[in-house]
Amino acid sequence: MADIQLEVRDLRKTFHPGLFESDVEVLKGLSFEVRRGEIFGFLGPNGAGKTTTIKAITEIIFPDSGSIRVCGLPHTDLEAKRRLGFMTESPYIYRHLTGREFLRFCGELLGMQRSGLEERISRVLDEVAMDAHADRKMGAYSKGMLQRLALAQALLGEPDLLVLDEPLSGLDPVGRRDVRDIILQQAAAGTTVFFSSHIIPDVETICDRVAIIVEGRVRAVGSVAELMSDEAECSEATFVGAVPADLRTPLLASHVGSDASWARVSSAHRDALIQELADRGARLVSLNPVRSNLEDLLMRHYEGEGS
Amino acid sequence: MRAVVAIAANTFREAIRDRILYLFLGFAVVLLVGSKLFGMLTVGDETRIIKDLGLVAIQFFSMLIAVMMSLLLISREVDSRTVFNILAKPVRRWQFLLGKYLGLVAVVAVNLTLMTLLLVVVVWVYQHELDFMLFFAGAMTMLEMAVLAAFATLFAVLTRPILGSLMTLAVFVVGHMSEDLWLLTRQLPGAFARAVIATAYYLLPNLERFDFHTEVVHDLPIPAAAVVWACVYAIVIIVLVLYLANLRFRRKDLM
Repeated sequence: MADIQLEVRDLRKTFHPGLFESDVEVLKGLSFEVRRGEIFGFLGPNGAGKTTTIKAITEIIFPDSGSIRVCGLPHTDLEAKRRLGFMTESPYIYRHLTGREFLRFCGELLGMQRSGLEERISRVLDEVAMDAHADRKMGAYSKGMLQRLALAQALLGEPDLLVLDEPLSGLDPVGRRDVRDIILQQAAAGTTVFFSSHIIPDVETICDRVAIIVEGRVRAVGSVAELMSDEAECSEATFVGAVPADLRTPLLASHVGSDASWARVSSAHRDALIQELADRGARLVSLNPVRSNLEDLLMRHYEGEGS
Repeated sequence: MRAVVAIAANTFREAIRDRILYLFLGFAVVLLVGSKLFGMLTVGDETRIIKDLGLVAIQFFSMLIAVMMSLLLISREVDSRTVFNILAKPVRRWQFLLGKYLGLVAVVAVNLTLMTLLLVVVVWVYQHELDFMLFFAGAMTMLEMAVLAAFATLFAVLTRPILGSLMTLAVFVVGHMSEDLWLLTRQLPGAFARAVIATAYYLLPNLERFDFHTEVVHDLPIPAAAVVWACVYAIVIIVLVLYLANLRFRRKDLM
């Protein structure tokens, strides 16, 4: 078995909406690798290309160029698909089926043997705490119940790789904790998890490594600690007697309050700021070091792309 | 093949739970009221009129199912994005299409069987003997509907649902006017108009090949060659049309 469970190389995709609309280049040479047994976070703002990438991995759309390998096999290979469990963003449902019937249908699509299927269905229903509701029509399910059932069908085939698109969005706190626990249990059992989200705390909490995707490209990959170690420490200064807009020192962010002004400055420019405030006769009220978080990093990449 | 059967069964189950079989009740009303009405108005062999009315009604209601289901066949799976769940599994796109097609054919077949059984019973009430040839006529109508269902599948992947249904309906209507189209190609004055009509004639199926109503109602001999030819014709068209549908669908981005 391959050590790289998901390999995406130079993926490009442009959509052609119509005759009178301009083309939209969504993926611009996207590459990353997901190692066996890790929880890999795929973090980016809405419209960054996360769902398009997942649709390409699951063969719902076809990339213009690039390659995708799942568990060492081309992603179009049926064996690769058999080893992959996929949960869509906002689970879509067959209203006419009960939860159990839906899982039976999924098991048949996976080519599972009839003899073991019912037992496996009961097991995954139990895992996602849906056994009590399994014989109700899916049309009557709450969002949280649908999310759990969608996760159950992704787990049904005992996949080597779980691809989860925004699995925690729209859930209440209890539902979030439950689904998060299931993901962690799967990872502990050796399943590789590819986890797409735009919710930073979710990614920070459960992912071993993270790829930041902005405008169809991967901008950074690594563990949260690694990504943050590359980030320069910065300082936040509060002062009176000067307006941030007048300062020559490059500021990362600033705010003018009624009593005092506030500015964030990189470590490299901290001394210059202190000196300039002194030169201008302004009074430095406080100066505190702060560490960037994943949100700052994402925003920096996002704003960097936009500017 | 298991995936195809699973998708077909799911399509069938969805249609049944959507109460599409209620159309059978519509047929029953038309047949029972119509036979009573024609029984009162007609002098002579009223069972022939009941058979004729019944077979036409079977054809009409079966066509209605094919047209209505083509509205939902693929578009519901794509619009509700349940198709994502299917295609992410070890399922080829042609298997998905074939499953949807077979599901549609199964729904039409169940309806058609129920309608034919009812017609046989009604005729038995009037005639006091079972007319098994009605089953033959029903089977040939089923063949016609299998062809129509293939077109419904093609249009479902080519275009939007309403337009797809209208196009399926158009195939049914024009398919029963094939002989007239052929005559038109000889009688029209303009070369361009003749070419257009000739293209339609060659592109669309001749559904009259499956119509053995007159022979069944009037107890006329049915040439075996015509039946064999109708079966071969249906198989060729179904394979060709489903192949075209797959050609379009196999690399289609689903949004």
